[in-house]
Amino acid sequence: MNRNKMKTFLEIIYNCPFLLLLIASGFLFALFFDETGVFNIDKSIAAFRMQNEVETAAIKEENTQNFDGEAFAEELHSDNGTEEETENSQHKTGHEVENAGIRKKNGDHKEEEIKQKIDIAKLGIEKNREKEENRATKFEEYTPISIDSRYYSDAGKIALTTAYDYVLENESYFNDAVFLGDSRTLGISDYAGLDGADFFCDNGMTIFKLLEDKGVTYQKTGKKMDLKEVLQEKSYGKVYIMLGMNELGYGNTAMYMKQYLKVVSQIREWQPDAVIYIMANLHVSREKNNMETEFNNININDKNVASARLANGRDIFYLDCNPLFTDEEGYLQEELTFDGVHLYAQNYEKWRNFLFEHGVEKKSQEQNADVNAEARSGQKEAAHGADETE
Amino acid sequence: MVFSSVGFLFRFLPIFMIIYLAFPKYRNLILLAGSLIFYGVGEPYFVLLLLLSVLINYGLSRYMFWEPRSPQSNRKLKSARRRKRALVFAAVFDLGILFVFKYWDFAVSNINGIVGQGILPLLSLALPLGISFYTFQMLSYQVDCYRGTIKDKAGFLPFATYVCMFPQLIAGPIVRYGEVAKRMKDRKVRIRDIENGLKLFTVGLGLKVILANQIGTLWNLIMTAGAGSLHVLVAWLGAFAYSCQIYFDFWGYSVMAMGLGKMLGFSIPRNFDTPYASRSVSEFWRRWHITLGSWFREYVYIPLGGSRRGSGRTVFNLLVVWALTGLWHGADWNFVLWGTVFFLLISLEKRTFGKWLENSRVLGHIYVVLLIPATWVIFAITDMGQLAGYLGNLVGYHKEEILVGVTQLVRYLKEYGALLIACVIFATPLPAKLYWKWKDRWFMVLLLLLIFWWSVREILQGSNNPFLYFRF
Repeated sequence: MNRNKMKTFLEIIYNCPFLLLLIASGFLFALFFDETGVFNIDKSIAAFRMQNEVETAAIKEENTQNFDGEAFAEELHSDNGTEEETENSQHKTGHEVENAGIRKKNGDHKEEEIKQKIDIAKLGIEKNREKEENRATKFEEYTPISIDSRYYSDAGKIALTTAYDYVLENESYFNDAVFLGDSRTLGISDYAGLDGADFFCDNGMTIFKLLEDKGVTYQKTGKKMDLKEVLQEKSYGKVYIMLGMNELGYGNTAMYMKQYLKVVSQIREWQPDAVIYIMANLHVSREKNNMETEFNNININDKNVASARLANGRDIFYLDCNPLFTDEEGYLQEELTFDGVHLYAQNYEKWRNFLFEHGVEKKSQEQNADVNAEARSGQKEAAHGADETE
Repeated sequence: MVFSSVGFLFRFLPIFMIIYLAFPKYRNLILLAGSLIFYGVGEPYFVLLLLLSVLINYGLSRYMFWEPRSPQSNRKLKSARRRKRALVFAAVFDLGILFVFKYWDFAVSNINGIVGQGILPLLSLALPLGISFYTFQMLSYQVDCYRGTIKDKAGFLPFATYVCMFPQLIAGPIVRYGEVAKRMKDRKVRIRDIENGLKLFTVGLGLKVILANQIGTLWNLIMTAGAGSLHVLVAWLGAFAYSCQIYFDFWGYSVMAMGLGKMLGFSIPRNFDTPYASRSVSEFWRRWHITLGSWFREYVYIPLGGSRRGSGRTVFNLLVVWALTGLWHGADWNFVLWGTVFFLLISLEKRTFGKWLENSRVLGHIYVVLLIPATWVIFAITDMGQLAGYLGNLVGYHKEEILVGVTQLVRYLKEYGALLIACVIFATPLPAKLYWKWKDRWFMVLLLLLIFWWSVREILQGSNNPFLYFRF
């Protein structure tokens, strides 16, 4: 009897090794590798709760402190605007490498400094409310709808391209430009014909991943690079940033804005002379727009408005390319896209022309700075002279 | 619910199998209930439509077999008339529902377009999952009943289980009742069946998740750049990528269905027989989606007279079959065009060079490998302007500037080269041959285990972070 049982038992093992191994490895998986909670329901609920708590905390912070980026951006700018700094930066070309080394050592110190700056920025809320009217970047307001999501809310306004006397440029303008972004920037890299510019972008890139070690692909070589090092070693005239699509369902808009700020201020430090362009994220098509998920234009607009607040109209500009490609309701036009998200290759020409139209001449900027400095010192004649030359 | 999802693999399937094996007496009931849950999770409303269809079709099939007490002389006549009436009613009902959900908007927008004004309203209905498949399955049952090929009528439970059983409910194969009739009444599930079924299922899962899903991203990449501005070679690469995607996707699903069928004690017919290794388009269609092809042959082509009523009639019959085959795949003009292309190719082959191609050693293969991907492009692109652009690119004609050129081609090949080679290998009969030869060897067991967990990893990466699958 016992022997028979043993025999059938062995027969089962002999007959179905795959089934048994599958079940065994399933148990192993459930016990040790199940990070996503496929088997362990309690675990997945716990993981969900944890994420939820982190994010609600972030929302609370946003609500109570009304964190304003523009103040910070201006703070940054006035720091850089002092004469000492500009002198330093003029000498910099010769000592680039050395400077980079010093900066690296000072990395920790700088981080603290940034924290302090953020605090200063928070204190400056009141000051900024007064400035609301004089902002470089104008917002068009509308009545927001209420959104029940932990990822985003309806901003209730649309950010317009920063007002400025832009100059029409040509391809040579982009010879010292660098583009940082996700798959849409990859599209610009592939199809806009801006061969002089450097492109650092990847599918699925986020503002959170951008500065990670070996975080992003340099399109000219196809290799993953440390953007930190690149930006410290090479000096660019223009930095174009376009990120936000892959953040739609990650964290919330406040976290996104904070991180954007961090990235922009880092880049400002590494590239004190560069014009920084913050580019709006292109909306999606009506078909792709989904109000039941986080994947919709209201969320994209929320991210855009957040990033637009960093623009100061002096050396940080916000460019909204959406009017080029969207219908009157703000949806990406269906005939321009296959997947409702990315433009067809042929449409990047239009985008390129848009970028051409938004050149910022370094000279006029310096002149402006001169004008300001001189006006401040009270030498009115010199100021008139400068006006005439313009 | 789809097979390649965490919910199915780790929740539905194990729980269902345990219940199914624990109560051998109620297998049909458990299978029916399980299938309705399987369907209802994704389609909570259309599951009612499915049930309604099943009930009405069952009623009609009973009506066909109903023998009233009446004088002997009248009985035969009346029963013939009744059977005909029941069949017509069933066909009108089944095809009517299919028409409303699948073809109404297409027909109406064309009618409105011709008339020039909106005389009929668009319904914008969502398409119930699997409706094309289960409608055809019920129709085949009705016709078989009418013809008398089904001798002993099924009870409600076997009939409903036959239509709804989850392995083939959503995407086929289209099983005929005769093929499963015996097993419907009584089926044994041995431990070996579960083992072998599970292995087969894993093979299908790998084909779908590891091959089809991955190569599909290449096609998307190319289409995202835009049809019309592609270099010839990029256009062909895209066509090959899509051909691989659709094949491994559908073949994988069919293999998973076969595996699940085996685990439940059925033998579900195979749907694909390495079609890309064919030497003519006619042969391709004998080896691609076999159950659909045989459905059209059995219930449309042969009743129309097949090829036995003269060559003119044969051509007409082929036209009907291929127009319907095209429309079955989707309600849009590109599908009609797609069907028409096959009609032309197959008629030509039948009359002229078909036999010669099939006897050739190399030429036939080249012919199929170049033509079939081009037909898939017609299948894939619904927008006529874009389709024209893409087909132009395939022959090197460009209306617009080439924007996706050699630079991108090199990058695509670098990124997808290994996968493309794997796809080519799996399109040949070799892997299947090796699988059946070695399927009980220990290394195959380990390999399958690897494939299973690799697939799970891929699935998790797509669903773990709800936004990872966007990958902009």
